[in-house]
Amino acid sequence: MRNIAEIYKRELRFYFSTPVAYSVMFIFAAIFGFLFYRNLTYYSNLSYQLMQNPYYAQRIDLIMGVFSPVFSSNSIILLMMIPPISMRLFAEEKKSGTIELLFTYPIKDFQIVIGKWLSAVTVIFCMLVLTLPAPFMAFGFAKNAEWGPVLAGYLGLFLMCLSFLSLGLLISALSENQIVSISVSYGALLGFWFLGWAVDPNSGKMIGKVLGELSIIGHMTNLIKGIIDTKDIVYYVLFIFTTVFLTLRVLESKRWRG
Amino acid sequence: MIKIDRVTKMYGQTVAVRNVSFEVEKGEILGFLGPNGAGKTTMMRIITGFFPPTDGDTFVEGHSVLTEPLEVKKRIGYVPENPSMYTDMRVYEYLRFIGAVKGVPRSKVKESVEKTVEQCALEKVTKRRIGELSKGFRQRVALGQALVNDPPVLVLDEPTSGLDPKQIHEIRGLIKSMAGERTIILSTHILPEVSMTCSKVVIINEGQILAVDSTENIGRNLAQSHQIEMVVEGPPDRIVDRLTQIEGIKRVDNRGSTYIVDLEKEKDLRALIAKKIVENGFGLLEMKSRSMSLEDVFLRLVTEEEGGNS
Repeated sequence: MRNIAEIYKRELRFYFSTPVAYSVMFIFAAIFGFLFYRNLTYYSNLSYQLMQNPYYAQRIDLIMGVFSPVFSSNSIILLMMIPPISMRLFAEEKKSGTIELLFTYPIKDFQIVIGKWLSAVTVIFCMLVLTLPAPFMAFGFAKNAEWGPVLAGYLGLFLMCLSFLSLGLLISALSENQIVSISVSYGALLGFWFLGWAVDPNSGKMIGKVLGELSIIGHMTNLIKGIIDTKDIVYYVLFIFTTVFLTLRVLESKRWRG
Repeated sequence: MIKIDRVTKMYGQTVAVRNVSFEVEKGEILGFLGPNGAGKTTMMRIITGFFPPTDGDTFVEGHSVLTEPLEVKKRIGYVPENPSMYTDMRVYEYLRFIGAVKGVPRSKVKESVEKTVEQCALEKVTKRRIGELSKGFRQRVALGQALVNDPPVLVLDEPTSGLDPKQIHEIRGLIKSMAGERTIILSTHILPEVSMTCSKVVIINEGQILAVDSTENIGRNLAQSHQIEMVVEGPPDRIVDRLTQIEGIKRVDNRGSTYIVDLEKEKDLRALIAKKIVENGFGLLEMKSRSMSLEDVFLRLVTEEEGGNS
């Protein structure tokens, strides 16, 4: 436990003593803010018109009208923001050679991996926390605020980010070049995203369903609508667990091969 | 204390270290000597548990690096060649981090870091970032991270490479001052370093051990012969011819008027040789006995090995 905490503290100190965490957090907050502002003003204009029609007036909904589209567009932004956080985790240590000493200390591999992973998780957590003023502002205008669906959306974003991160961690362990690490991460993440489009899931073919279910972003669509489905949570947990586990295996096999 | 048991390491199809075995007693300073690419660093990385051997095993205080790597790692302080440390960290903070990671009890971390700072003379730079330090200070920080948990074994890979003569002197002094209480393995390709600091030598080339002995013995036992160097006036052919007739002389090398005579072990034929030369009417201008230095032994072993392979 202590070893994990020490690795975690060191990695976190790196993120926050260099511009890495700040730049990613700032850029993301700015983009999120812009997208939120655009969606909110658009929807508020739209809602004036909708109010004229009694049928539509009942259907004005901040979640479907604002948060769901904002979260959805931000999933793509996050896909771009997470690899810069994850790319260095192992690649940098391998390139600079610090891994040589790290591997000769009495620490288990999983403690290194978990410590590093948790530090990046913390950065991502801070990133998402920075966007919380958005729902507070939105609900400031609403009479009956419904926090549940928004929190479900945040849970979805968070789990999706952790999946991006874990895949990035695995790729970082495979490469000692940070440029390669980040490019391959983008490739892999986009690949997992496009999986959902590969075959039309409604065509009735099995392959379309299977590939659709493998898509990282696909599993967020329910969560950002405020629907928590065990299937989606299980997908993310399994995805994170598998990639972190593979990272451990990669480190081990690299050692044996020298 | 440390036992290396038939260790082999392969990188793919390439053999880096082949069937290496030796032991180091408590308190000894072992010099690991070999040309660049001989497998020194590979051996050190195996001993420190950086990667496992392909075959064989190593033990530190009876703990196997394969089955109890953490026990081995706790007992070893390692300074790699060109040690890479976290350049964004400050010296004090770094040593504290390493101390904690190496299992120094929470309550003692501060104390052991301060002791290390004093031991490695780092007082002036505790608040500086490691990336800003000079090579000499960086080497001392590297030594500090090895010493911070007070391990009984130190493994130093070329500890003086890239330092200026004054720094080399300081680092050697530091290493020597730790002899007796700690067991030290240091690798080098600088021969005087071994004779200056080490009590035992292992000579390695192309992944194989050529010799293991104490520093004093290695020259004596490994030298197949004693040598005499002479300057003689006279026709070389006849001189060589006469000399080789003397019993106990193995070989005569002739370069101009200088002759190198290889004698059989433990025989002093200087008087006899001088007599023969004078009797034959040659002029004996100079004669001195040459004992093989560590360098000669090393070169001989390494080149013989290469000759044998080709």
